[in-house]
Amino acid sequence: MTTASIGRFVILASVLVSTGGAVIGFYAGRSRSRAGLQWARRFAYGYALLMIAATAVMEYALLTHDFSVSYVAHVGSLTTPTWVTIASLWSSLEGSILFWGFILGIYIAVATYLTRKHNDEYMPDAIGVWLSCAAFFSFLIAAPANPFLSVAPAADGPGPNALLQNHILMVIHPPFLYLGYVGMTIPFGLACAALIQGRLGHSILKPLRAALMLPWIFLTIAIMLGGWWAYEVLGWGGYWAWDPVENASLLPWLTATAALHSMVVLERRGVLKGWTITLIQSTFLLTILGTFMTRSGVFNSVHSFTQSAIGPTILVFLAAVLIFSIVLLALRIDRLEADGNFDSGVSREGMFLFNNLLFVVLTFTVLIGTVFPLIVEAVRGKQMSVGRPYFDSMVVPVGALLLFLLGVGPALPWGGATAKQIRRALLPPIGGAFVLLALGFAFGARNPWTLITLAFGGYAAQVTLSQMRSPVTQLRRARRRFASYVVHSGVVIVFVAIAISSTMRYTQEVHLTKGGSANVGAYTITLIGVDERHEPNRFATVARFDVAKNGVHKTTLEPRMNQYVAMREPIGTPDVYSTIGGDFYLSVMNIDAGAQSVAVNAIITPFVGWIWGAVILMGLGGVMALVPQRTAREHVVIPVIEDAVEA
Amino acid sequence: MNRTVLFVGFFIAVAVIGVLFVGLGKDPQVIDSPLIGHAAPPFALKAVGSGETINLAQFRGRPVVLNFWATWCGPCYEEHPTLVANARQMQPSVQFLGVVFQDTEDQIQKFLNERGNAYPTVIDDAGKTAIAYGVGGVPETFFLDKNGTIVAKFAGPLNTETLQSYLQKAMKQ
Amino acid sequence: MIAAILLLLVTTGAPDASMSVGPPQGRPMSGAALDTRTVEVASLIRCPVCQGMSIADSPSEMAVNMKHQVRALLERGYTQDQILDYFERSYGQFVLLKPRFQGVNALVWLLPLVALAIGAAIVVAKAKRLQKPSDPATQRPSDPYLDQVRNLVSGGKP
Repeated sequence: MTTASIGRFVILASVLVSTGGAVIGFYAGRSRSRAGLQWARRFAYGYALLMIAATAVMEYALLTHDFSVSYVAHVGSLTTPTWVTIASLWSSLEGSILFWGFILGIYIAVATYLTRKHNDEYMPDAIGVWLSCAAFFSFLIAAPANPFLSVAPAADGPGPNALLQNHILMVIHPPFLYLGYVGMTIPFGLACAALIQGRLGHSILKPLRAALMLPWIFLTIAIMLGGWWAYEVLGWGGYWAWDPVENASLLPWLTATAALHSMVVLERRGVLKGWTITLIQSTFLLTILGTFMTRSGVFNSVHSFTQSAIGPTILVFLAAVLIFSIVLLALRIDRLEADGNFDSGVSREGMFLFNNLLFVVLTFTVLIGTVFPLIVEAVRGKQMSVGRPYFDSMVVPVGALLLFLLGVGPALPWGGATAKQIRRALLPPIGGAFVLLALGFAFGARNPWTLITLAFGGYAAQVTLSQMRSPVTQLRRARRRFASYVVHSGVVIVFVAIAISSTMRYTQEVHLTKGGSANVGAYTITLIGVDERHEPNRFATVARFDVAKNGVHKTTLEPRMNQYVAMREPIGTPDVYSTIGGDFYLSVMNIDAGAQSVAVNAIITPFVGWIWGAVILMGLGGVMALVPQRTAREHVVIPVIEDAVEA
Repeated sequence: MNRTVLFVGFFIAVAVIGVLFVGLGKDPQVIDSPLIGHAAPPFALKAVGSGETINLAQFRGRPVVLNFWATWCGPCYEEHPTLVANARQMQPSVQFLGVVFQDTEDQIQKFLNERGNAYPTVIDDAGKTAIAYGVGGVPETFFLDKNGTIVAKFAGPLNTETLQSYLQKAMKQ
Repeated sequence: MIAAILLLLVTTGAPDASMSVGPPQGRPMSGAALDTRTVEVASLIRCPVCQGMSIADSPSEMAVNMKHQVRALLERGYTQDQILDYFERSYGQFVLLKPRFQGVNALVWLLPLVALAIGAAIVVAKAKRLQKPSDPATQRPSDPYLDQVRNLVSGGKP
């Protein structure tokens, strides 16, 4: 038996096991059969084992350079280093779908294991939904995107996509993105199970929240890594271009974030049940939409370097999931009666409602902006573009409002409050707003949106810090709330860093010949020389610069132009010198090794590095919130204490 | 059954799936030219080799095949023999004209010497002509009728069949 | 006929913007103001050889050429609208990263505002509805502990 046929066999088995498990799950949910649930769980574990096995077979084929396996023939190469070979699994379409199945298998197995003692009423249907999604992806791997086809073995292969080898971030970004995308299947399954059962009790909220939080953390980090990659590689000095594929990763993040917030109100006041479920369903649907956007080749994007014929299949799946979700929601939403109410709109729960409104409007805006060119082309047959200037002018005001809410919301108490209480809660943080505003103004910030962001950010920072500090023992007593404030502090830093880095960057075009130097702000760059380097897969023209700041040598930067064999125009790869205060970025515009001359774009971007760090802080906050809390008894006491603290 | 949810939901579903379905099978790289049916932007540029100025207007009275290309472009190598063969066959009733941009004269001359040279090739001035024609990449070919109106545009390497079918259109006018 | 006249007009060089958008309608620019304005206008124009990037951002040669063209036109006193018009005439609406507020394209600006208005109305209505004591049959005090008890009673495990 060849490696390819073993792989095909394992994948076929996974189609059968996932389909069978889904049927058993739904049957057990309907008949409330305990034995049925046990079998559904066994099938879930079985599916995970098969996906792990299939991935192991593929990695084995990649590492042993078995060019009789179609995927290895497509992306393998004897000359690539081992880490690239391992990462080739997700460098091209077929492998990345297999990798998707692998992650889905692990998610399903872990979720099934962690819920083995709880929520027996929901779990059969949840496993049914999970395994239905699994069956679809196994089908994709088995038929339209099969990486295990047998081909006549060649002596060597072309190696993976050049961009993958170009930068380490391209190797770690996709796994994080998949962990985020794929993980949204788990809360989707739980939410659908709640709808099928017609109730969303308190016992399911904790697993639901955890199941949403974990992929949210991965997605948060993944979006940042994508931006960081763009910054380090694309050469224009920015990190976010509102490219369709970037938007595709942002959309489910927005709805997931909204859901994490509405869930707080749900836990607290017992309302917004149908709404929270709708948000979770939307999140999953948007991950599928995102997959369609990156895989169908319908959108023009810097990131979609894998185009293929699986677009229609994914679209059919998207349509099926969409119709399933809508019908289920319409059938059952009225059964999820609210068992709570609001005391006042001017309260923390009221602010949560506005938070959700803004997140949904933001999602809608990004979605409409992304697909609008398709609509216009369908209606009028003419191409048009919706680009960065549109998104900037639409999203920035909504973002500023969200930052405002991030300050006001946590300052307001739950339930109603008297005018005096509201004043006492809302007035002091204005001090924080002024401090940050004054600091920004002193350092030269003049852009109105930057100043607004600084003011709102300062306000939110003071609220967040005082909330974090209030009960000394909070870490033990209400770690989740503390964790959410850690996330919020990260958000405040991200907002401020984005506002400053995007409006206060300094750009200068510099033309130099060997030995010449130029001043760029506080920096002085000297061209040491221009080299030509022949590398196995590309031809590079590299400019070497000596970089000094205020007369002191700091580093050597080597921005370059890479000409890949398969690409029409050369790709510039910038080089960056990062400090806490900001980055110094050199990107080649024009380079001539013969004349030893180069034209570079020199960009000084303040605070840009803070974005990456603050997003990691957001992720850490999320991890902190995931750490299980103690027993149910203690859990009940907390709200009372919190209310006392806040009153 | 909550009818509001059902109707709103189905409206969204039909809209989203409909738009994506129509979008399928479209190549986002293919951009229609708004210049079709309009007068070709006039230019007078220096020809490679002879150095004389060639004015687009001097070809009025016969259809023109206007080909934008460059020596650093792979597909241009592919289509060059087709253009040369067709030009040899059809000139002077049809005029072929090459416009090279983002390139050097030496390299163009070398390319033409090696691969055949059957019609004038002019050098663009800092991409201005390409911009006026809305060129988004090379090769791109415009078909002008005898009055100097742009009849069609083709992006990508031409083969004889495509070239002839577009040329029929240009000759009908 | 017009084509013929235009073709005869040109004596030398590449096509000129005045052929399609007429004489400059603004004041000629220079110095630092020209630099800033070039970046501002260039960031509204899509680089046709890149993917979704503006010509202000893209380092590709095509984008650099287009940016130089923008700069030259500003220098001669062409307004932003004229320059965008000029590029739109050759590349179509595709080249404008910020859709004009006209025709179908106005929808991309209006729909989010409509969504915001509808959403705000729903939120206010919802908040009002939630503030009224709900139907006594369905009204239950919100208490996670009670919820868990309910859960136990209804067969689920905590």
